[in-house]
Order: sequence, then structure tokens, then C-alpha cells
Amino acid sequence: MTENLKGYKGKGKEVLKKNKVAIWDIIKVTTKEGEYEGIVLPRNEYSAPDYIEIKLENNYNIGIHAAHILNIEKTGKREAHYKIPEKKFPINKNLPNIKLLGTGGTVASRLDYTTGAVIPSFTPGELFSAVPELAEICNLETEIVFEILSENMRPEYWQQLAKKVEHAANSGKDGVVIGHGTDTMSYTSAALSFMLQDLSIPVVLVGSQRSSDRPSSDAALNLINATIVATSDIAEVVITMLGSTAHDYGLIHRGTLVRKMHSSVRNTFRSVDALPLGMIQNRIIKMFKNDYNKRSESQTKALPNFEKKVALVYSYPGLNEELIDFYIDKGYKGIVFAGTGLGHVSTTIYDSVERAVQEGITVLMTTQTLHGFVGMNVYSTGRELQNIGVIPGKNMLPEVGYVKLGWILGQTTNPQEVKEMLLKNIAGEIIEREIPIAFNYNIDELLKNKKL
Amino acid sequence: MEEFDYEELGLMCGLEIHQQLDSKTKLFCRCPNKLQGTREPDFTIKRFMRPVLGEMGTYDKAMLTEYEKGMDITYEGYNDVICTYELDETPPFECNNEAKKIAMEIALLLKANIIEEMHVCRKNYLDGSVPCGFQRTMILAKDGYVELENAKKIGIDILCLEEDAARKIKTEKRTNYFRLDRLGIPLVEVTTKPDISDPYECREAAERLGLLLWTSNVKKVLGSIRQDVNVSIKDGTRIEIKGVQKLDSIPTLINHEVSRQLNLVKIKQELEKRDLKEENIINKPIDLSKIMTNTKSNFIAKGIKSGKKLYGINVKGFKGIFGMELMEDYRFGTEVSSKVQSISGLKGIIHSDENLKNNKFSDEDIKKLIKQLNSKEGDCFVLVLGTKDEIDKAMNVVINRVKYAFKGVPPETRRALENGNTEFLRELHGGARLYPDTDSQTIINSEKEIQIIQENLPEYPWTIIKQYSKKYKMEERLIKELIFTGNLNLFNELLKIYPENPTLIITTLLETTKALRRDGKEVENITEKDFIDIFTLLKYNEIGKEAIEEFMIVKSNYPDLTIEELKKELKIEKISEDDLKKIIHNIIHKNIDVIKEKEMRAMGPLMGEVMKKVRGKIDGKIVSNELKTILQKKLVELK
Repeated sequence: MTENLKGYKGKGKEVLKKNKVAIWDIIKVTTKEGEYEGIVLPRNEYSAPDYIEIKLENNYNIGIHAAHILNIEKTGKREAHYKIPEKKFPINKNLPNIKLLGTGGTVASRLDYTTGAVIPSFTPGELFSAVPELAEICNLETEIVFEILSENMRPEYWQQLAKKVEHAANSGKDGVVIGHGTDTMSYTSAALSFMLQDLSIPVVLVGSQRSSDRPSSDAALNLINATIVATSDIAEVVITMLGSTAHDYGLIHRGTLVRKMHSSVRNTFRSVDALPLGMIQNRIIKMFKNDYNKRSESQTKALPNFEKKVALVYSYPGLNEELIDFYIDKGYKGIVFAGTGLGHVSTTIYDSVERAVQEGITVLMTTQTLHGFVGMNVYSTGRELQNIGVIPGKNMLPEVGYVKLGWILGQTTNPQEVKEMLLKNIAGEIIEREIPIAFNYNIDELLKNKKL
Repeated sequence: MEEFDYEELGLMCGLEIHQQLDSKTKLFCRCPNKLQGTREPDFTIKRFMRPVLGEMGTYDKAMLTEYEKGMDITYEGYNDVICTYELDETPPFECNNEAKKIAMEIALLLKANIIEEMHVCRKNYLDGSVPCGFQRTMILAKDGYVELENAKKIGIDILCLEEDAARKIKTEKRTNYFRLDRLGIPLVEVTTKPDISDPYECREAAERLGLLLWTSNVKKVLGSIRQDVNVSIKDGTRIEIKGVQKLDSIPTLINHEVSRQLNLVKIKQELEKRDLKEENIINKPIDLSKIMTNTKSNFIAKGIKSGKKLYGINVKGFKGIFGMELMEDYRFGTEVSSKVQSISGLKGIIHSDENLKNNKFSDEDIKKLIKQLNSKEGDCFVLVLGTKDEIDKAMNVVINRVKYAFKGVPPETRRALENGNTEFLRELHGGARLYPDTDSQTIINSEKEIQIIQENLPEYPWTIIKQYSKKYKMEERLIKELIFTGNLNLFNELLKIYPENPTLIITTLLETTKALRRDGKEVENITEKDFIDIFTLLKYNEIGKEAIEEFMIVKSNYPDLTIEELKKELKIEKISEDDLKKIIHNIIHKNIDVIKEKEMRAMGPLMGEVMKKVRGKIDGKIVSNELKTILQKKLVELK
């Protein structure tokens, strides 16, 4: 009985129990004010404890305080059963074959109108009924790799994804699309960029900022754009999401030079230190530059090994050396600093940083300004840090630095090799020159002035 | 208007009234609750909407119809009064407590039960009027009533607190333009039970609800209250009529709708009598473009030459049906045509029940059409001109509407027109478009909150009307007008300042304002504070009451000046009684001949002369008394 009262607590639970009412029962509740009839709903466990929650005939939900209930009468039961519309995804021999890997985002979903919960749709048939345009672009094969929120992503999952992509690339698929929550999408894109060597096909990460259960969702358009990019000649790991708040064009960002820059807007992803690789509008791709890896016949190799004992430490006034000592004591192999400005941390932790280096921990410096290079020769403090053994991470984003160091330490533990690999451009993460417009580019403006 | 026995027809009406609340900020974001009028927008954003799968894994019919229209949406916004929330780029913030309290007051006036724990829900809209595709709405109270003059109680089903939608500015080609300033303004939606059984009763219920709302802290400007009327008869269907502008149009709208439903039922019976079957109506349009290239109908010929197509379809046994009048100046053909317009964007259809020669078809053209369409005596055919895409959409609409004629009245949402008729607006939304908003918290209405509002409830407007009318000896109509012009509070304020002449206040607020508006003055520029300032000057005899109108005119023209500044500008200086006497003596001196001739009857012309000099600078009553005294003295002197 109790498990049938999901989320109910306190007097709310008591009154339902006493009246032998279960979730999905239709009840008539009499209070001193009036009468309400509706379906008993499961309740969010973080809601106030003493209420019961029903869905009225007119589909509105309301809560009633248990203490005011005079009488409850059971009049029926109505459990929601959902039919999933499965239309067969048509196969067209002339279209490319795309593999869609699911990680748990809601690129396409249906709505549970009773609870408001979003039920992911993921089979080709479900996707076809939600976004029929896909069948005009490709033949689609789907696989749910895991179902997680993207904040719960883990290096092991990157490893699994890398192997899935390797298999798809080497078994004749023309491209891979990965549906991914946007929170940690750029970590995954960076990880796959390093793990997938000699990548022969496009790997496109895509998600949505407005979930697909709402008419204004960006999910369908992003998915359409992503499949187009997956059929293109860009044999790199990229992120494709809307480029402006309008439902107009998508941008193609290199997987190691991109970041989620806003907590909620549609065009949250921005390329950092460079312009995006290109854009996609009305199903047509337009590249802004030509220095990207092209589709090839090469054998894709996954090198998924990853050292998880790498820490990402944000520098801030008051940062205590205990924190560094903790990582050292816990046996960490690498520390990546998101330093201030040109790549600084307070001199008060220098002793601990020195101890870390001496104990064989690789220490990499990146900048929390996100944009620009670290410049550790400008101030004496920077020079001193280098002297201690901190490696300046050039233009690498802190997250990319973290992922890269973890991956390198998974490949080798030789300190010299680690340092060389860190400073070498492996997957487009290190640029040679930062073009002036990279810092505050506005694609809308550039398009309007025909500068792209 | 045709007379009906509404009781026998089983007429049931309900009202849905939307009223904007006058809180400082919007319901779910802290943008100012201020409409921007005709101000040009700072930015525009283009969006599309897609239908979402419903509960049963199918699409809502109304949503699909909107999607089929294939309209683009352009939102227009302002950088200073719109935030990322309205753009559907940020989750909702906390629900506005001020708005909630206003809504609670209204609910308690309607004797409704306040919901103890409110759950914000989403109501899907695909027409673009809400950028996120749904309106956030919550049920705040249930089961109340409003009492009519004759003590009949019209039940209130629910009262919802929700967000207003964006304002539609225009439709250009296939793009709808919406302005975002109105989006998110708190709104109460009051829905009555279908207890209303007569068109005039419906008008009264709407008026009473309007009065009740306008005595609370709601927005009191044109467009801040919108009413929908639901109409059904026994054999018909529930039809939702949106956009009812004037109370007085309600009885006509209901009358016409009853007529439309009755006649649609008649058509259904006629089709049965003709032994026609719905399944025999087949959607196989025929391309007539080739045979009509040289038609005498100019616009058809021109259309075909420009690359458009002419398609026709023969509807078996339908002769006369398209020509049947459903309501005044509105035939079944009009019904089909306006639905075609709405969904395909085409201007409409041509059908053989109307005189084809009006479209300049020659006899030969008509013969060709009949032959090509294989149309027999007793059939009706329908022609559509447009691109292939438009024609496909249009023909689908035609066939579906014709098929529904076998069933009777299709359930739909219709738009009220000026002449009392209605036209198709959209399909009636199914129930499965309301679902919990997963972005917001539940909101608790505590007993204490409710109690405080209950203890401070204002008087009912009908009580106020009776009281004021008696107390100030004024017609009830005027008090009602004070409420409906949003001037009741101001009236009370002014009365505190200038208690000696309520009639003057009411005349100023109603008649003078109306007259100036008629003359094209922008009376909106006169603020409540201006009125307070004017009546304060009046109270201290700084100006005469004759100056009020002058102040109002000038303020309409110079909205940026204060009343004090205007007073200097107008050189309205108070005249002392000594000065007045001097002026009067002067004028009497100049008009001595007239006085000799007319004696006391010279009072009128002399008064005019004096007022010319002192108007607005001193009270006319004082002038008149003074003039009378001096004139009498003068006459005595002369004798």
C-alpha cells in the first residue's frame, strides 16, 4: 500500500491511507468549503507534506490540505496508459546511414499529461513520428547507450561512447549523432575528440535547451541540423546547436573549442578562441573555414584509457593549500588549475603546488577567463610557477585541459611524454593564433554584413 | 433579429472573462506590467512551433490545424521591458504575490472557494501567441457565483490566474507578428457555468462580472477586459465565440449563433432527406487550368496566366446547400469559404450555388466546367484558384467541412465580427493540452492570507451604484459609467478635495472628457494627478470651474507640463473681487445704452461680456451675483 502513495508524506499520506485510497483512484473529496472530484496523482516528494493532490475533470491539478478534508469517497480508477506511436522509419538506399546514440537527453519525447513527466522517445519509429523530416535526410539506426542526466556523466561513459563510435565508423555507418544533455556536452565532445584517433566520419553531439515536450522546443531543429552535419564531410567530433535565439540556423562547433556559456538560452554554445567551423541553415551547410579533417576511409581507433584521478581546481582569493594537500594525499595524478588572468594562483599555495610536482603529479595551468592564452612569462609569479614545474596550458579551456590530462595519463605515465603531449595540439584544442574577432564575435552581425 | 423560443431550443450560454490585473510587474518575471502602445520595437526574433505528441501519442487536432497553416512567427520586443523569460529563454521566476492577492479578492467577491495548494499548469497554444508554446495558468478558486438583478445566481465554475499572451500586430504573407509587451501580464480568467439561458441574461451577467472586476485593482483601459461567450442549443454543439468587444453585441451574437446552429441542423436533416451519404463525398479535385485559360472571368484568366492553378470538385447532390443562409448575409458557402481562408490563406472559394456570372464566367465557360467536372443536375461544384500547395490545403478543408454537414455543427472556436456574425478562428482545443508545469513550484494559499483579504473586501459595485446614486442624487447610469471608465477611485479622491459639487466632478470625468475625445483631443494625457491638481486649485478658488475644460485641452496638447506650469502659461491669475467690480463697472459704463433699453434683461449680454474677461479666473457664480448687485444699483441711479 505505502509504495502506492509515491511522494506523499505527513497528514496527506495518513488521510489517503485511512481511506484506502491509492494513486490513480478517482475520488470525491468533501471539505468544509466544497467538493472536488479528481484523480489522485503521485506527488513530488519535495512538496509540502500535508496535502493531497488531484487532477480535476478539467485537467487542472490542485492540492487540498488533509486537515480540511471531511470525507473521501472512491468513485473509480483511471491509470494512464500510453500508446507509443510507432511509425516504421522508411529506408531509402540512396540516403546515408546514420547511427543515433542516446545518452538520456530528451531530443524527442512525449509528455505524460497527468504528471508532466517527459517520456523519452527513442526508437527510429518514435523519432520518425515526432520528427518525420529525418527520413528525408538519412536512414536512422538508434541505440540507447545509457539513460542519465548529463551532470551524471562519467569518464567510463565516455569510454563506452568512444567504443560505440569506433564500431559504427568501422562498420559502414556514414555518421554518428549523439543525443546528450547540454550541461556536460562539451566535456564529452572533448573526451571523444581525444579518444577517437583517425576518425573517418562525423560525430555530432546534439541536445536541446527547451525540452521537446513544448511546441517551442529547439530539439527537432537541432536534431535535423545534427543529422545533416552527420552526413557531411566533417570527420571531427563537433557540437551542433542553434546559433541564435531564433529558430533560424545552427552552428557547428569544434568539440575541443566549445563551451556552454549560458544557463538557459538556446544559443548557449559558443566556440571559444575561434569562430565556429561553420553553420547550417535550411539544411545547407556553410563552412567558415577549410582547416578541418575530411571524411576518409581510414580505420577509426578508440583509445579510451582515462586516468580518473585528475582534479580541476578553480583559483580564487582565499584558496587554501589544504585543498591541494588533500589531492596529493589522495593519490591524484594530475591537477588542472583554472587560474586567474594569465594563469595565476595565490603565492600562499606555492609550497603545496611544489610538493605536488615533487610527488610526481602533473600540474597544468589554464585560465578561468576562458578566452585567451595563459601568459606565464609576463609576471614574476607566472615565471615562478613554471619554475616549480607547472605546465602552461596555452589557450586550453579548463575543462578541456582536465579531459586532455586525464586522457594523456591514461595513455602514458612518463612525465616527459605527458608534458610533450599536453603542449601538442592533438584534437584542435590548441590554436596557433587567436583571430581578433574570436573574443566577441556576433554571428548575426557577421552574416548581416556578409563577412562569413 | 429573428425571434427564437430559447427555452424550447435548450439554449445554454456560458461566459469566459479575461481581465488584466494592475500589479506592478508581470506574473512570472519582474518585467514592468506596462503596455508600450504604438512604440516601435527594438528587436525581432523569428520562431517556429511544432505540435507535440499528446497523452495518447496523437496530436491535438487544433494544434495540427495551426501547424498546417504553416505560419512563421516573428516576435517583436523591447530591450527595456522584455527579459529572456518572455522569449522562452529562461525558466519562470516566483509567482507574483501582488497579482495573486488581487485575484484572491476577486475570487472571494465571487464567493468561490480558494484552492489551498495551486499547481501551475501549461496550456498549449500553437498559434504563436505565446513564445514557449503554452500559457502558464493555475486554478485559484472554484464554485462561486454572481447574482443578477432578479436574484438568479449564475454559477462560477473556476477562476484561474494566468499569463496574458502576446499581442498580435499583423499578418503579412505567411508571417504572424506578435508584440511581447503584453505577454506575461497577470490575468484572471473567470469561467461561468452554462447557467445562462437567454441572450439578454448573458449580457447582464457579463456586465455584472465586468463591474465586479473593475472595482478591484485591475487594468482599466481599452482591451484590458476580454470576454468569450460559449453558446449551444439542444441539437447543436458548444461553440466558443472569442473577442466579444461590446456588452451590447452579446445578445445579437448569441441570436446569430443560434440561427447558424439551427440552420446547420436543418442542412443535416435535408441531406438525410436527400438520402446522401458522408462516405460518398470524395476528395478528388480536377485540374481545370487548361480548359479555363481563355475564360471570360478576368481574375481566373489572370491567375492561370501567372502560373496559378484552378481546381474544381463536384459535390454530389449538394445543389442549394452552399447557398443556404445560416445567419444574416452568411451562407453555408460563406462558412466553407472563411474556413478555407483561415487555413490555406486563399481568398476563398467559388461555388455553383452563387451566380457564376458574378465572377464573369460566360455560358460557355460554365458548360465546360460542368462537363469537365461531370456535374449533374442536383450537384454543386466548388472552384479554388491558387498554387498547388494552397489548393491541396483548401480542398481538404472544403471536403472535411462538407463531410461535417452530415453531422451538424462542428465544434470550433469562432471570432466575433462587428455585424453580430462570427467566423471560424480555430478548431476547439481538446482537453489533452493542459498538463503540469514542471518548471515551477506549487503555491500555497494560507488560511491567514485568505482571511485578511476576506476582511477587507470592497463593496459590490451594484451596492456602490445604489448608494452613490442616492447620496449624490445622480442617475445610476452615471455611476456605472464611472466604474466602466475606470474613474470610480478618482471620483472618490476628487470628492475628498472638492466635496461641494459631485455633479461637477462626474461631468468633468465623463462628459467633458468624452466631448474632448470626440474633438480629437488626446485626453489620455490628462493623468489622475492632473485632475487632483485642477480640483485643488478650484478648492482654493485659484481658478473658476470654467477653467477646467481649458486646462484639460491644454494638458491634452502639452502632456509634459504640470498643471502648475500650465496655470502660469495660461496666465490664469486669480481675480480679486475688487478687480471684478472694476471690470463690471467698466463694462456697464460702455453699455449704458443697452442698459437703459433692456434694464434687468441686459443681465445676459453683460454677463457674456464680463465672462470674456474673467473666465476661469473667478467662479461664475460670484460674477453673476456681483453683476446683478451693481446692475440693480445702476438702474436705481438711472431712475
